[in-house]
Amino acid sequence: MAPVEEKLRCTKEPYIEDVGSRKIKSIRFTTLSSEEIRKSAEVQVWNNRIYGNDLQPVENGLLDRRMGSANKKIQCATCHGKFTECPGHFGYLKLTLPVFNVGYFSSILDILKCICKTCSRILLPEEDRREFLRKMRNPKADALQKNALLKKIRDKCKMFRCPRCGSSNGVVKKARTGLAIAQHFTKSVDESAEEIRSALSHKKDKQSFQAAHVITPGAAFALFKRMLDEDCEVLNLYDRPEKLIVTEIAVPPATIRPSGFVGFGRTSNEDSITSILKNIINTNSILREDLEGGAPASKCIDCWTHLQIQVVEYINSDSPSVPESKHRGLIQRLKGKQGRFRGNLSGKRVEYTGRTVISPDPNLKITEVAIPVLMALVLTYPERVSYYNIEKLRQCILNGPDKYPGANFVQKPDGSTMHLKYVNKKIVANDLKYGDIVERHLEDGDIVLFNRQPSLHRMSIMCHRARIMPWRTLRFNESVCNPYNADFDGDEMNLHVPQTEEARTEALMLMGVQNNLCTPKNGEILVASTQDFLTSSFLITRKDTFYDRATFSLMCSFMGDAMDSIDLPTPALIKPVELWTGKQLFSVLVRPNACTRVFLNLIVKEKIYTDNETMCPCDGYVYFRNSELISGQLGKVTLGNGNKDGLFSVLLRDYNSHAAASCMNRVAKLSARWIGNHGFSIGIDDVQPGEYLNQQKKKKIDEGYRECHEHISSYSKGQLTCEPGYNAAQTLELKITSVLNQIRTTAGNVCMNTLHWRNSPLIMSQCGSKGSAINISQMVACVGQQSVGGRRAPNGFIDRTLPHFPINSKTPAAKGFVANSFYTGLTATEFFFHTMGGREGLVDTAVKTAETGYMSRRLIKSLEDLSVHYDQTVRNASSGIVQFLYGDDGMDPAKMEGKDGIPLNLSQLFMKVMATCPHRVLDTLSPSEILQIMDDRLSKHDMSPEGGCSAAFKKLLTDFVNSRVVLMRNTRRALKLDEDHTEQKDISLTERIAANISGISSKQLQVFLDNCISRYHFKKVETGAAIGAIGAQSIGEPGTQMTLKTFHFAGVASMNVTLGVPRIREIINAAKNIKTPIITAKLLSDRDALSASIVKGSIEKTVLGEVAKAIQIVIKSHRPYISVKLDMGLIKALHMRISADSVQLSILNHPKIKLKPEHIRILRSDKLRIYAPEADKSQLQFSLHSLKAMLPKVIVKGIPTAERVVIDKTKQGIYKLFIEGTNLLAVMGTPGIDARNTKINHVIEVHETLGVEAARQSIIDEIHDTMRNHGMSIDKRHMMLLADVMTYKGEVLGITRFGIAKMKTSVLMLASFEKTAEHLFNASYSGREDKIDGVSECIIMGIPMRLGTGILKVKQRLEQIPDFKYVPGPVLNRSNI
Amino acid sequence: MADDDYNDMDMGYEDEPPEPEIEEGAEEEPENNEDLPDDVVGAETEEKEQEPAERPRKTSKYMTKYERARILGTRALQISMNAPVMVELEGETDPLEIAMKELRERKIPFTIRRYLPDGSYEDWGVDELIVEDSWKRQVGGD
Repeated sequence: MAPVEEKLRCTKEPYIEDVGSRKIKSIRFTTLSSEEIRKSAEVQVWNNRIYGNDLQPVENGLLDRRMGSANKKIQCATCHGKFTECPGHFGYLKLTLPVFNVGYFSSILDILKCICKTCSRILLPEEDRREFLRKMRNPKADALQKNALLKKIRDKCKMFRCPRCGSSNGVVKKARTGLAIAQHFTKSVDESAEEIRSALSHKKDKQSFQAAHVITPGAAFALFKRMLDEDCEVLNLYDRPEKLIVTEIAVPPATIRPSGFVGFGRTSNEDSITSILKNIINTNSILREDLEGGAPASKCIDCWTHLQIQVVEYINSDSPSVPESKHRGLIQRLKGKQGRFRGNLSGKRVEYTGRTVISPDPNLKITEVAIPVLMALVLTYPERVSYYNIEKLRQCILNGPDKYPGANFVQKPDGSTMHLKYVNKKIVANDLKYGDIVERHLEDGDIVLFNRQPSLHRMSIMCHRARIMPWRTLRFNESVCNPYNADFDGDEMNLHVPQTEEARTEALMLMGVQNNLCTPKNGEILVASTQDFLTSSFLITRKDTFYDRATFSLMCSFMGDAMDSIDLPTPALIKPVELWTGKQLFSVLVRPNACTRVFLNLIVKEKIYTDNETMCPCDGYVYFRNSELISGQLGKVTLGNGNKDGLFSVLLRDYNSHAAASCMNRVAKLSARWIGNHGFSIGIDDVQPGEYLNQQKKKKIDEGYRECHEHISSYSKGQLTCEPGYNAAQTLELKITSVLNQIRTTAGNVCMNTLHWRNSPLIMSQCGSKGSAINISQMVACVGQQSVGGRRAPNGFIDRTLPHFPINSKTPAAKGFVANSFYTGLTATEFFFHTMGGREGLVDTAVKTAETGYMSRRLIKSLEDLSVHYDQTVRNASSGIVQFLYGDDGMDPAKMEGKDGIPLNLSQLFMKVMATCPHRVLDTLSPSEILQIMDDRLSKHDMSPEGGCSAAFKKLLTDFVNSRVVLMRNTRRALKLDEDHTEQKDISLTERIAANISGISSKQLQVFLDNCISRYHFKKVETGAAIGAIGAQSIGEPGTQMTLKTFHFAGVASMNVTLGVPRIREIINAAKNIKTPIITAKLLSDRDALSASIVKGSIEKTVLGEVAKAIQIVIKSHRPYISVKLDMGLIKALHMRISADSVQLSILNHPKIKLKPEHIRILRSDKLRIYAPEADKSQLQFSLHSLKAMLPKVIVKGIPTAERVVIDKTKQGIYKLFIEGTNLLAVMGTPGIDARNTKINHVIEVHETLGVEAARQSIIDEIHDTMRNHGMSIDKRHMMLLADVMTYKGEVLGITRFGIAKMKTSVLMLASFEKTAEHLFNASYSGREDKIDGVSECIIMGIPMRLGTGILKVKQRLEQIPDFKYVPGPVLNRSNI
Repeated sequence: MADDDYNDMDMGYEDEPPEPEIEEGAEEEPENNEDLPDDVVGAETEEKEQEPAERPRKTSKYMTKYERARILGTRALQISMNAPVMVELEGETDPLEIAMKELRERKIPFTIRRYLPDGSYEDWGVDELIVEDSWKRQVGGD
């Protein structure tokens, strides 16, 4: 027995190589019969005592030794293992009477509904039963379809009389209290019931007739036992239904419910499960005694109910039928974030980790992380002794665990391990053999994973090389702050040491910092210079900075620890002294010596750029030509992150990650050291406003206040002309806000203009390292309007913001305008308003993190298993195709160079080719030759669709070359040369000029085309890439940066649109009701204002109250009526075409007003008379009034769902309509609307009206628009993937628990997401099988998943091993890749 | 239909006789791997030849970064366990570095088995695949 148990244990152990012959292929969820429970158990448990008087576990008690050991003192009596070794063994507990299992309760109820309560046959006519059985047995039906079918069967099984035995069946329902099932005969037509009813009716006091009959668990058990197997199959039962009812409880092993003694006392501390089981044993034995002793039935039943409740508590202690339980049941152990699934199976605690505070060190390479020695003494790597490292490892062993670099353990091949603290190190070192494993301390160059929470995207955990350093913090280059989103204000970070050679290699290759410089979100560079690096680069490259030989060489030596050879460029000034410019320093930095074959070519416009390209007065035009900085002061756009054509991006794309990384290293070292000497700080004098600024500010504020007061007074007089779509108060707010913002902006502008050019905040904002113009002007000039919820400060007191102001005051100061600057200091009220704004920000962040975190989790769960397969398709784990080609072109978003996910930035590449291989005048091509060469190249295999080239790229390339040709023609025309032919022989001056301006040589063209094409082919997404997870992260991560606020629709009066996280959530959830549905409609005649307003009139919902001049009750002697008078002037003005007839019709069609045509009389074209329906006189007044109340709400014109229609006029004079509301179909059908160009932002509505493909496009567009509104760019491919996942089943599925349940087949995956217990119970009811092929399942089971490196298999090839006579190198050679 | 395919694929994948992983063979006999692994490997090659890939191979001729990482990892593990090195060493001792050098010289004695979603597979020798030589990529027409 024991060895069998030992083997079974391997299901729980992590994946280890020598499992070899055994691999879990799939898991089937079923139910256990009592027999199976008894068989697998080692012991019957019946004793309610746990420990005996000797403090040892009692035989047949809950902690019987045969069930394993519950604490360290007890040894297992079955396998003789100790607490740490024995996996535990089951026991069983026999219940006197059967009880329901809560988990299956609804299933039991459903089965009982479907079967005859007399003969146990299914309540279906024979032919129906066969039909359903056939459908149920269909091998192609998946679990979802079967569930739907089951629902259908359940609906059909509503016969009151069994077709087979003829007995009557009542309606089966859950009893009102507790966990019980009752059968009601109330509805069923039965003679006996009738009899009873008639008998009871004679009784005077109305006794309710209750023909309910309780189905006890015992009765259900008996019924289930008699069920036919075929009937079970119809009900989608995998196994016998009696297994759903508990007759025997499998007592879990003692190891999972540890027990310990409190202090020295005799009371033991028991696990929840043990205590619940103990109660069950007690009740069970009382019940048995009662039954055997013949106690009254009511007592027995009470006891039985009690037992039922306790068994419920054992399974689910949160169940509503359990009155407030203190215990944790089995379900509580599984579910939730800390539960078994999410807490222990999907994520595990690991060894070989470290965590401490981080600090910056610009002297480290970007790929390095400095690890404190203290940490390195604990973190080890198991290195196998081989020929090359035996000496090094011997030395490590001799050093032992306390001296760095030492070792902690030695493992021998026989499996024994030695701790070096307790053995003679010298002997161990001498005995060291090849094949031993030494757990040595971490050393320089070791591979570690570095991580900071929250891990929102894959760059939050990257692979670094270790550098062991003194002191106590983890240190890394500031350039890598961005991907981790780290700063050094006390942040802590985690460190993991991969323990096998394979893990290290994969970590380095796939997660290395060098290989993750770009974010897959949109291909922008993420690891780049920040903060001080930008400032010092900006200062160094100033136009007027010159360095003499000594300074310049010193600065050159800063760059590379004086390790690189540097070719000093020719000085910019030779006489009177040799002087170099700061710009030359950057030329050196990019290309230190002639051997470095890096030719950088780029043009970037910095933030400070004004105009005139290289002659920009602010020197903002950065131009590198062949690695020489020609012009421009470097700032964030060139060196910083979040840019696609910055210096590092270009280096990375044109050369490789190493070139970019080493350049970053040089920038970091240079600027850190240089700025240390140069000095850069900020003081109070930096924010002191000048006299001029003070005057100007005072003037502006006075002017603005005066203007505001004018507005307020005209408002209070009621003279304010309203803006379209606003009322007077809103208009006033709008005007005042714009005036106040004007004050802040002008004050800010004056402030920025008056600042000295050496002002530190100014420099920082100019180069983009920190702060913006607003920040500076807030410090120096004026803080400005404080807003809460997008408005001025709200009224916290009655009609005023604070008691310091008069009631209803709308003056700037009373509504939160802060006229002071941070330098002058805020007044008390100003300060209060400022904190109001500040608090809103804090609340926003707090709410946002929770919300986006959950959104990310859902996204990941739904997309986690998508990967690119070898046939280029994107599939999920069950091989369902989601996309035939990733993102329609198979490109990797991380490698995209152009804007909006275009593979290449052709103009940049062209410029580089022109610069790196210059042409001579002779060999410039004529336009026709260019086109000829291009066509030849494009007809080759690698530009064909079979060769893997998309038509879009081909077009991109052709268009670009064509545009060049056009340019060339224009130049030649301007120079009055022959447009199509270049002169080959006699070269005139103009010919030369033309060639210089836009000539292309054949070599250049060829190099350009080859380069484009070969680069294009390297940009393909790689097979195995987990693009699902990447896509989910790329959408989830920007979510954390979005504010929850809603913004106004640009340009349109008061058209609010939900934006930010709430909007993204709406789209992703595929919400049925969205907050602000808006239809954007184009018009057929879109330049005609009249037609626009006519269309508007026919769409907008108009109620009678809006178009009626008067609705009055007229009480006349003979018959009172309501008179309605239409406002024909208004109707005419709005082109609504409403007449009395149409009003009559709409009133008649109104569902609530039940009038007949004769009740409404049309007097004139604008006057109606409505009579109340005939009723008794007493009701007349009442019904007239209720009619009068209802009449104004009658819709007389337009689409009922179209709340508001706004006409928008673009600058080009094109009119379009924005319709607030839904019903796209009706809008599209309205005459005058261009139906093909009419859109709605409601995904579900699009699906209903236009179909699933349109819904997919709508999802993509909506997410894209929302993200763009927040200034975030995300590659289209991610959104396509998300949209495809949401729609590939043929309907729009939200990324919610319901949608995901429909998308995925794996039980384990669903159980690890949400509703853990529900999924597990349902799975075992229908015997679901889980093929372990998705990501979650593989993680739970500890099996490598089949994506990324797991998508392929590696085979050893038999080859002759070459014979080398090499001499091994020095033993202690450190790797320095 | 999709279900059938899915099953086929899975069966095809699982029904293959479990090949002893290369690293296992090496791990079990860490000391005498000079001649022993040959047997293990020989058995495998035979088995492979029973199922030749008949149709022309369709997958990309470029080696993906995942293939590269997997191969280098497996090879580095072998090397760390004293497997014979296929290239001339110039003082490298780090197994990963040696594996990289082997890959650069296309000397890694592995075959990559690429599984297509229908369960069939293509075998590609490491030396047949184009590795992205980012270190060689230069712009300038030479």
